[in-house]
Amino acid sequence: MPMFPIICRLFATLSVSLALSLPAYAVETLRVLAWPGYADNDLVKNFEKRFDVHVEVSFVSSDDMLREKISANQGGDFDVFAANTAEMQHYISQKLVVPLQLSNIPNTAHQLPRLRNLQAIPGITRHGQVFAIPYTYSEMGLIYDRKQFRKPPTSMAAMWDPRYKGLVLAFDTSSHNFSIASLLLGGSPFQIEDKQFSKVAEHLIALRRNVLTFYTLPEESVRLFRKHSVALLFANYGSQQLKQLRDAGADVGYVIPREGALARLDCWAITRGVKNQRLAESWINYTLEPSVSEELTRRQGLASTIEASPLIVKSDKLIWLRPVENAQRRAVLWSHIISGDLPEKFLAP
Amino acid sequence: MKFSDHIKLGIGFKFGSLLAAFGILATSLTGYYFYSSSRNMLASAAERDLLTSTQVVGRNMKLIIDMIAEDSQLLAAIPVTSNVFNSPDELTAERDKKVLADTFTAMLTAHPEYFQIRLISTSQHGLELVRVDRNGKTLTRVLDANLQEKAHYPYVFDTLRLARGDIYLSDITINHEKGAHSGLNKPTVTVSTPVISSNGKKLGLIVINIDLNGLSRLLKSNLPSTYQLYLSNQWGDFLIHPDATQTFGFDKGKRILIQDSFRPVLSLIHGKGMNVVTNVDEGRQKQDGQVAAFVRLPFGDTIEKRFVILGLSQPLDNITRETTRLGWDTFQIILAFSGLALILSMLVSRIVTGPLNAMVSAINRFSKEHVISTLPLTRNDELGLLSRSFHDMQTQIMAHLSELNENRKALDHLTRHDTLTGLPNRRMFFDRLEHAIASSRRSGKHLAVLFVDLDRFKEINDTFGHAVGDKVLTNVAILLKSSVREVDTVARLGGDEFVILIDMIDDPQHVTTIVQKLHNLFQRALQIDGRDMHVYASIGAGIFPRDGKDANELMQNADQSMYNSKKDGGNTSSFHAFRSEETS
Repeated sequence: MPMFPIICRLFATLSVSLALSLPAYAVETLRVLAWPGYADNDLVKNFEKRFDVHVEVSFVSSDDMLREKISANQGGDFDVFAANTAEMQHYISQKLVVPLQLSNIPNTAHQLPRLRNLQAIPGITRHGQVFAIPYTYSEMGLIYDRKQFRKPPTSMAAMWDPRYKGLVLAFDTSSHNFSIASLLLGGSPFQIEDKQFSKVAEHLIALRRNVLTFYTLPEESVRLFRKHSVALLFANYGSQQLKQLRDAGADVGYVIPREGALARLDCWAITRGVKNQRLAESWINYTLEPSVSEELTRRQGLASTIEASPLIVKSDKLIWLRPVENAQRRAVLWSHIISGDLPEKFLAP
Repeated sequence: MKFSDHIKLGIGFKFGSLLAAFGILATSLTGYYFYSSSRNMLASAAERDLLTSTQVVGRNMKLIIDMIAEDSQLLAAIPVTSNVFNSPDELTAERDKKVLADTFTAMLTAHPEYFQIRLISTSQHGLELVRVDRNGKTLTRVLDANLQEKAHYPYVFDTLRLARGDIYLSDITINHEKGAHSGLNKPTVTVSTPVISSNGKKLGLIVINIDLNGLSRLLKSNLPSTYQLYLSNQWGDFLIHPDATQTFGFDKGKRILIQDSFRPVLSLIHGKGMNVVTNVDEGRQKQDGQVAAFVRLPFGDTIEKRFVILGLSQPLDNITRETTRLGWDTFQIILAFSGLALILSMLVSRIVTGPLNAMVSAINRFSKEHVISTLPLTRNDELGLLSRSFHDMQTQIMAHLSELNENRKALDHLTRHDTLTGLPNRRMFFDRLEHAIASSRRSGKHLAVLFVDLDRFKEINDTFGHAVGDKVLTNVAILLKSSVREVDTVARLGGDEFVILIDMIDDPQHVTTIVQKLHNLFQRALQIDGRDMHVYASIGAGIFPRDGKDANELMQNADQSMYNSKKDGGNTSSFHAFRSEETS
C-alpha cells in the first residue's frame, strides 16, 4: 500500500476539520433562549448570514424551566430570551435583565397600536425604562356554539348561566379561573384581597356545579365539545383552539367578552450577562420584521405583533397576564375546588 | 539457477494467485450473501417476535380491564348498592353504606392494583356516597364532610349516559382529586358502571380507580427484563415510558409525544393501521438503539373510537448481538475457506508447475550435458504431450549430434591419414616428428627418421597397372608397420615415398640394425595377386640431433641420404654423412 495517498488524505481531513472548527472561534455567537416555534432554523440562518454571526438557540417548554435557565449563572448563559408579561416582573426584580435601547429596535414602530404603548403594558417597564419588547400573544376568548346562542355571549358570566348547566367547558387551571371569577365579581383579576378569597372560591364552586367539566388539552376540549353538544367554551388556547373546532366541523363563534380576555403576551428581553447588547437588540429587531413575524402566524398559528388578528377588533379589551397576588394560595384552593370538596370543608364560613 | 527461479515465480505465482483470488472471492461472496440474508431473517424474526409480544401484552391488558369491569358490574348489581338509594330511614341507609364499604374494602384487599372504590350519587352534584381509599398499606373509608362532588368529571357524566351493565373507561390521567389516598398525583384510570334501579332510574355509579403503575407492573411481569413498555393515549402523549419523567407531559404543561420519539407511530394515531414495527435499521440510526413494536388498542366504548397505543421495545443490542455473532461466525468460515482455497491453489499450482519445472531442468541438463532426463511421458494431458514432443526432439537432436561427430572423426582421420594405406600422412607425421623432437630435447634421447623410397615403382605401375601398384604400396605399408615397434610411426609422404619415425633411441647404433632389418625384408618377394613380386627400396636415415637440429634439417638430411642410396642404384640404405655398405 503506497504511503503517499494516505498522507494526502490525512492532510485533507486535517485541513477540512481545521476549516470547520475555525469559525467557532472567529465568529461572534448570540445565545437565544426561546419557546419552540419562536426561532425556526431557516430564520436563524438568515440572521446569521446578515450579521455574520453564529446563533445558538435553546428551547424551553415551561415558565419554571425558563426561570431556572436564566437564573443559573446570573443570566450569563444567554443573551436574549422570551418570557410572558407575568414572568417579566420576576426577572426585572431579580435584576436579571437590562433596559433596552429602543432606538436599536426600530421595527417596534410597525407593531400594533395596543402594543406600541409600552408603558401601558404591565410588567415590562420600570422607572421609565423598557425591559422587554412584545413578540407574540395569545388571548383567551370564549368559543360558543352558534346553534345554541342566538346572539353571541357578551360576558364570561355566561359560563355560570344555569341555562347552560352541563354545557359549559372551563379550563382546569387555578390562576386564570381565580382571575376570571374575581374580575366578574368586580375585583382585580391579579390582586385578590384576602377577605375576597372565600367569595371568589365559592363563585368557582358555583362554576364547577354549572360546567360539564374542566378540560386540559385542546384535543380533549374538541372531543367533549362535540360529544356533549357543549354550548360555551373558555378558550385557554385561543385562536388555535377555534381552528381545531372548526376543522372538526363545529359551527362555532369566537368572542372577546366585554370585561376583557386574559392574554398571554410573550416578550423578548436581554439578560444581564449579555455579551453584545447591540447584537441582541438586532435579533429582537429582526424578529419584528414582517417577513419573520408573519411566519409565526403562518407556521405556529400564533398572533404576531405586526398584523392585527381578524378575531380581535380594536375595541376588544385584552388583559395582559400579570403576576398574581399568591399563586400558591390559588393553587391550593383550586385543588379543593376541582376535587369536588364541599365549601364547608375548606372555606371559612 | 536464477532464470528458472524467475519462471517458477511467474507461472506458479500467477496461477496460484488467480486460483486463490477466485477461491477467496467465491467464499467471500457466498459468505456475505449468507450473512446478509440471515441477518435480515434474524432482524425480521426479532421484529415479528416483538410485535407478537406486544399483541399478547395488549390482550393481557384487555383481559385485566375486563376483569376490573366485571368487578364493577358485580358491585353495581348487588342489592345493597341499590338499597343505599332506597333506604327508608337514615339509620338503615348508614347500615347499608357500611355493608357496601366493607364489600369495597374486601375487594381492595384482593386487588392491590385498585386505588379506590366509590359509589357516587347522580344527585347533589355527583356527591360520593360510599368511598374507600387505599392509603399506603391501610384502607380508609372516607366519611361525611370529606366526601366530594364529582359530577364535573367525565367518568361520572359519561358513565351516567350508559345503560345497565355498560362499562366506562376513563382517559388515563394523573389523579389530582384530593383525598387521603395513595392515588393522589399518580397515574390512574377509572373503570365505572351505572347503578340503575329496577324501574330504570339512574341512581348513581360504581367507580374503581386503578393504579396505572400497578397495571404496568402486571403487564410487564411476564416479559423479559430487557423489554421496555410504552403506553400512550390517542394523541400520542406518553402514559407509560421507561423513563417516568417522560410521561404525562401534558399534566406539566408540556407535550411529550410518542410520535416524536417513534415516527412510524404517527400512522397508528391517524388510524392508518393497527400495528407498526420500527425496523432494525431505523433503530440503529435513532431511538437510542431500540427496536419497537406498537399496537393500537381500542380503549373504552367503541362509539367514541378511543384508543391507546401500546408498545414494547427491545434494545437493538439484543438483536445485533445475534447478527454480530453471525457476522463473526461467517467471517471465520470465510477465513477458513479462504485459507483452504489458498492451500488448494498452492497445491494445484504445484501440480501444474511441478512437471513444467521438471521439464525446464531437463532442458537445462540436456543443453548442458546432453543427457536425456526422465520426463512425465505417460501423462495423458497436455503436459504429457509436451513431454513426449520434447523427448522426441531430444532423441532426434542426439541422433544428429552423434552423426555429426562420426563425420567429424572421419574427416579428421582423413586429413591426417593416407587413404590408400591407412598410414599417417605427411601432416600427421610432421606433427609427431615435432612432438618427438621436443621430447627428445627434454630427455636427451635420440630419434631417427628413415626415408624409404621404392625403387622403380613407376615400372611396376606401368607394367602391371595402378591397381597392382596400389596393392604393392599397401603391402609395403603393412610390411613397414610390422617391422617397427608400436610406438614408432610409419607414414606415407606420397607416391612411393614412406617415412618412419623411430623414437626414444638409447643408442644411435641401434638404427643401423633397424635399417638392416628393413633392407632384409625388402629382399623377399611380395605376394601380390598370387604372384611373387620383387620390390626394392632405397632407405636414407637421419638421426637427431646428430643429423639436424630441427625437423626440417633432419628430414632434408635423411632425404639426402635416401637420395644418395638411390643414386647408388637403389635397394640400398644410407645414413647421412656416412653410407652404410649395401648388401644385395
